[in-house]
Parts: sequence; C-alpha cells; structure tokens
Amino acid sequence: MELASSEYLANTAYDELLQPDLLPRAAAQPLFDYLDTLSPDELAARRQAVDATIMAMGITFTIYSESGNIDRAWPFDPIPRVMARSEWEQIQKGLKQRLAALNLFINDLYNEQRIIKDGVFPAEVLAGSGNFRPQCVGITPRFGVWAHICGTDLVRDRDGTVYVLEDNLRVPSGVSYMLENRQIMKRIFPEVFRTTNILPVDDYPTQLYQTLAALSPRTEGQPVIAVLTPGIYNSAYFEHSYLAQQMGAFLVEGSDLLVGSDDVVYMKSIDGLQQVDVIYRRIDDAFLDPEVFNPDSQLGVPGLMRAWRSGKVGIANAPGAGVADDKVVYAFVPQIIRYYLNEEPILANVPSYLCMVDEQRDYVLANLDKLVVKPANESGGYGMLIGPRATPEERAEFAALIRANPRNYMAQPTLDISTAPTLIDGRLAPRHLDLRPFVLQSDQFYATTGGLTRVALRQGSLVVNSSQGGGSKDTWIVEDGEQ
Amino acid sequence: MMLARAAENLYWMARYLERAENTARLINSTTHVLLDLPLGATFGWANLIEVAGLDERFQQLYVEADTDRPSPPSEEAIMRFLIEDSRNPSSIFSCVQYARENTRTLREMLPAEMWERINSLYLYVRDNAAGACRSRRERYMVLNHIIEQRHAIVGLVSGTMAHDTAYQIIKLGRNVERADMTTRILDLNSAVEFPKDGVLHEALMERIWMSTLNSLSAYQTYRQLISMHVCSRDVIDFLLHDMRFPRSVEHCLCEIESCAKLLPKSKQLQQLTAQLRHKIAQHHTSELDALALHEYLDHLQAELGEIHNALTQQYFHAYQDSATVHASTQAEIEFAQQ
Repeated sequence: MELASSEYLANTAYDELLQPDLLPRAAAQPLFDYLDTLSPDELAARRQAVDATIMAMGITFTIYSESGNIDRAWPFDPIPRVMARSEWEQIQKGLKQRLAALNLFINDLYNEQRIIKDGVFPAEVLAGSGNFRPQCVGITPRFGVWAHICGTDLVRDRDGTVYVLEDNLRVPSGVSYMLENRQIMKRIFPEVFRTTNILPVDDYPTQLYQTLAALSPRTEGQPVIAVLTPGIYNSAYFEHSYLAQQMGAFLVEGSDLLVGSDDVVYMKSIDGLQQVDVIYRRIDDAFLDPEVFNPDSQLGVPGLMRAWRSGKVGIANAPGAGVADDKVVYAFVPQIIRYYLNEEPILANVPSYLCMVDEQRDYVLANLDKLVVKPANESGGYGMLIGPRATPEERAEFAALIRANPRNYMAQPTLDISTAPTLIDGRLAPRHLDLRPFVLQSDQFYATTGGLTRVALRQGSLVVNSSQGGGSKDTWIVEDGEQ
Repeated sequence: MMLARAAENLYWMARYLERAENTARLINSTTHVLLDLPLGATFGWANLIEVAGLDERFQQLYVEADTDRPSPPSEEAIMRFLIEDSRNPSSIFSCVQYARENTRTLREMLPAEMWERINSLYLYVRDNAAGACRSRRERYMVLNHIIEQRHAIVGLVSGTMAHDTAYQIIKLGRNVERADMTTRILDLNSAVEFPKDGVLHEALMERIWMSTLNSLSAYQTYRQLISMHVCSRDVIDFLLHDMRFPRSVEHCLCEIESCAKLLPKSKQLQQLTAQLRHKIAQHHTSELDALALHEYLDHLQAELGEIHNALTQQYFHAYQDSATVHASTQAEIEFAQQ
C-alpha cells in the first residue's frame, strides 16, 4: 500500500482493511483500487470538501458557554471501514439473539423473577443494581419488550474475534451520525459507489418508525409519535431533531406535553390538545416523570408513568429497561441467552471475572497486571484500574479495595482493539476503532447494516469519544458473494 | 396539527429572516443615495438606527461606552452595530443566528434542505460580516449575497413545502415583519434635514424617495404603475396602499388575513386584521405634513403590534398558565408565591 504510513510497520493490532503484509483484505480491494486512482492532491481536495460539507450540513456539536455557543464540526475520517456481508450477517444474528434474551430477562426481573428462583442470576446482583426501578414491577409492556432500541458496542481483538463490549439500553445515541456519514460519502466520493457493491443504510428511520408505531395503543389511523428531547442544550439534540424529521414525528419537550385526568398524554397544539400515542424518549428514567422519579425534574412530564402503566401511551425504551445496562449484568449475558433461548451465544462476551465469586477473585488478584478492573456501579470510566499501565502501588491499592468490597468489582483481560487505515496528514495510519450497531425490537427485529464506526484519531489512543479526540467513519457492508 | 411552541418558533424564524433581508436592503440603498448627496446634507446613518428603533441601544453600546469617539458616530461603527454586533438583537448577524437556532428546533417540520440553507447563510454571515463593515465595496457584495440566499430560502419554502398550517405561519411572520419594516422605511425620510436651497431641496428629496423605493425593490414597479416622477405623496400612497405591490402595508395585511383564514380558531385575528386594513384604506396621507406622517406611521406600528399580540395570545401562549404549572417544580411555585 503506497499510502500506508510507516506507523503500520509497528502495528500489532488486527487491521480491518489491511492484511499483515499490508495488502488489502478481499472486501476492501475495490476501495483501494479506487483510492489508487486519486492523486495526493485530489485526495486532499476531497478531504477539504468533506469538511466543508460537514459544516454546511450543520453536523456539529454545540458547546454552550457563557461567551456564546461554539459549534464544532463532527470529526469525520473519509476512509470507510469495510466489512464483508457474510461476516456482518453472522454478527446481525448475534445482535438480535442478544437483544431478544435481554428483553426476556428484563421482563422476568420486573415480574416472576424466574431466573433468580432458578439460581442462574444472583439476587444480590439485582439488589445492587442502580437502574432497577421498583415503580415498574408488575408491568409487562406490549410484546414483553422493554428495550426497543439498543446500541451495542463491538470491538475486534488481535485474533480477529468480535466481542460485545457493552449493551446500551437506556438512550443510546449516534445513529444519526451513521446516516449522515453515508450522505457525506455519497456527496464527496460518488464514483466509488458505482464500483463497489455497498449495502444501503438509510432504511433505519423507516424501521424505527415501524418499531415505534407497533407500540401505539390506538389501532385505527396513523399513530401520533413524538420524540421527547431534553431540549436544544442537550448534546444529542441534533440527533433528536434529525430522527423526528426523518420519521415525520413530532419533536417535543416535556413542557409541550401534559397528562390528563383520563391518563392520556396530550400535546399542546395550536388546535387544542392532541393525543400522543407513542413517545420515543431521549431523556433518562430519572427525569421522565417528576411525580414518580426525580421530583425536581423540569424535563419530564408529570403523570407520564401513570399514562404508560394504564396502557394509554407507548414509551420506548420502557422506563426501567436500563436494569440490563450494567457491568455486572453484562457478565451474565451468555448465561441469560442460554437460560431464556436455550441457544449458545453467537457473539462473544469479553471474559469477565466477578470478584464476588471466590475463585474468580483469586484469579483477578493474581493477575492484576494483565486485567482491567471496573467498578460495577460506575460509568464513564470512573474508578477503573488499567492493570498493564498501572504502577505496583496502584495495583496494591486496588487489591485492597477488591478485598474490602468484592461485590463492587469485575475484571476483564485487556484487548488489543483493531485498527483501520485513517487519513492523517495525507497518509493512511492505523487508528483504533469500535462499532456501534443499532438493534430494534417490538413485534419484529431489525439491526442496522453496519453501524456507527467511531475511531480514536490520536496515535495509540483507545478513546473514541468525539469530545476527546475521537471521530467517525462511514461503515460499509459490501457484497462478497459468500453465504 | 402543530405544537404551540413550534408555531412560535416558526413565526419568529420567518420574522428574523425577513428582518435580516430588509436591513441588508436598507443599508445598500442608503449607501447608494449617500454617494449622491452634496456636502451639508445631514441625512445620514444615524437616521437608519433611529428608524429601526435602535437608537437607545446604539447610544448605550457605542457612544456612552466610548467617550473618545467622534460625534456623530462613524459609518463603520454604525455598520458594525447593524450588521455584525451580536449585542444588537436586530443586527443581521443576530437575526440570522436566531433564525438558525429556531430552525434547529423545527427541522422536522421544514423541507429537508431548509436547515442546510439557513445554516449556510449563518456561516456566510458569520465569516463575512466583519469584512462587510470595513469597506463599502465589500459590504455591497456581502449584503447582496445575503439577500440572494434569503430569496433561495423563500423559494424553497414556497416551492417545496406543503402549504399547510406551518406554511401559513411562516407567511404570517414574514408579512407582519414586512409591513412593520415598510412603515419604518417610510418614516426614514421624516427626519431628513437639508441645506435651505429650494431647488436643491426638491432634487434631493427626489433622490431620497428613489432610495426609499429602491430599498424595497419598488422603484421599477413604481415607475411602471404610478409615474416616472418620484414625489413624496405618490410614494407614500404607493407603499401604504397599492395592493399590486407585495411590500405595501395593505398588501401585507391582506396576506395576513388570508393566512389567518386557514388557521384554526382565527376569527378574532381575522377581524382585527380586516379592521386595520379598512382603517388604512380610508386614511388619506396626502395632506399630512412630516410630523403628522411620523405620528401616523408610529400609530400603524402600534396597530401591527396588536396583530402580533393577538397571534401570541391565540396560538403561541395559549397554554402558558397550564404550562407554567406543569413545568415548574413545587419549590419554584412556592418561591413565586412568596
């Protein structure tokens, strides 16, 4: 590969597009054939066109501060991540299997709790869950589905195995960027879509609409669907308005809605109050209904839980669905799949060691220099130990913490996360990435074709968050003719 | 069906865009006429700010804040205030920025390209406003480009958007703002003072009225429909009453009325608009002297304000009482009662 940067010589990770000998993998061959036709100047010009397009499309983050609002362009790398269709279809099956099992699990937790009674899932893990909502006990939403929209984070390890890193079941975001990334590529690199058989991604809004419409309590006529946003100051507001537009739904804030004494949710329209059938909420449980959850919330709608419980409105994701979005629950997902579906998991879980189990804790304490230790009830990377990068003192400190409170910790081996060629200063350099597909479930299943690829733009970095130097790529699932 | 909050944002989006375009036009045509004025005529930029009702704000930000500044304020200071100053809520930059913020909350109701167009307009103003304040040549180009882009947006709305409730609200906002601006532009000339030379005065007045017509893109229409001769009485009559010209006050009111007819629960709004239109139609301005005209135009602006208030009450803030109760926390209600 002529364009490949010298950084590739030292790359030990699996590369998504290049073989170890730096020749393109089969699925990526047409892409590189195309890139070879572009001169360095042409490539630089396209790169500039990409940036200009992103600005014009207004695909930005807005950072609000006292000195005014700063728009930052969505950081985008024009070299797509390519995957063969045959591999993707296998992953898709695994994603659907996983979500099906998780939904059965959530519904069981809020009802009979068979899985606890059968000794497969420990009661103390549930007791320690910060996302279990006692207010939801006894409810079975339509189709028994709680998590209608799931964003599953996938990574690939050095040997090529794809692992699930986490299941985002609360208000996963990013799908609008997946859709816009494809729009950008079509505008700036239209030629390559003629020479490569790239599967389209743009049916997601239709599928999301159908998933939501199936939750409508009224069967006659078109359901009224509303996307409930915390408002313009939320960093994902772009996505909320984008999805509402794509689905032809109403974009509402909490103050646009009210719940009547008839338990029906109404929208304040210029034509009087109008019934709302389904709410795609993009605000956290805690803020959803001040009558039931956080009483200080101004983002929510008083009485919304009442309306949902009495079946007068569908809410996606259902309140309480986050109980399965938890680091310790994650460790149990393989057993959860076997228990409810009587199937072997298709997608691999990162091996996880629960410190609450004696022999697993012994293993963790003996191998702290090789493991990542995560607290069960923290998120956002707080209170973590990255063993290989920690000092002996830090490891000793963590060993003491684990011994003092074993239930609060789990550990995983460090993965060598895969890379893909990324345009850095005119050359292709290896950068680490993950993949977030979106999976839908109501009366039917759907998984996106590919998903949102997030890439760490700094050399050696594993942080893919856009606020911390991460960017994204278009994700191509290409026809490879294999079954 | 439309949310009350969305209707308000849509209405203001249309007003902001209309205001940005009108300000751009006004600056361009004033620049044009200034080039023709003899030394000694005091028609100047300060009038523009007064007419827009922004003189207090300007005083505050530019004159009092900096006592070293020459008096009267420089053209550049006035341009910065009118074009790029985000502290002036009616500057072109502010208007475009507000319109963009509103559009952001309305994307699901507007044609898909709308957001991109308004966003591009915003980026253009943001990147070029400073240059436009520095030189007259650049200013003309930049302001013209803003007007063009705004036209493209209006074209997009009328050519691709369903002519539904949202469309009527956009049209309402545009026409309320436009009628208001036409009265203000007419008022511009009441503050002009000239050297006391009869012949020169008449020739100058004609120039100024031509500029007024130009700022509304009305000069050609006026010549075709009214007269080759530009005189104040005819221009005032034309801009207030001529139903054939889309920026005349009566025409705007007629548009407001026809939009209102297509909105739900609009009887009161329709009545109010019709009354005002009749009142204006029957009012003869030809006998008014400059001061009386100024007072009459002020009065018209107040009447247009009533239409705005009626819209706000009927549609935008219809739920305000219930909304306040619902959105507030118990703590806040208690605080408010103290």
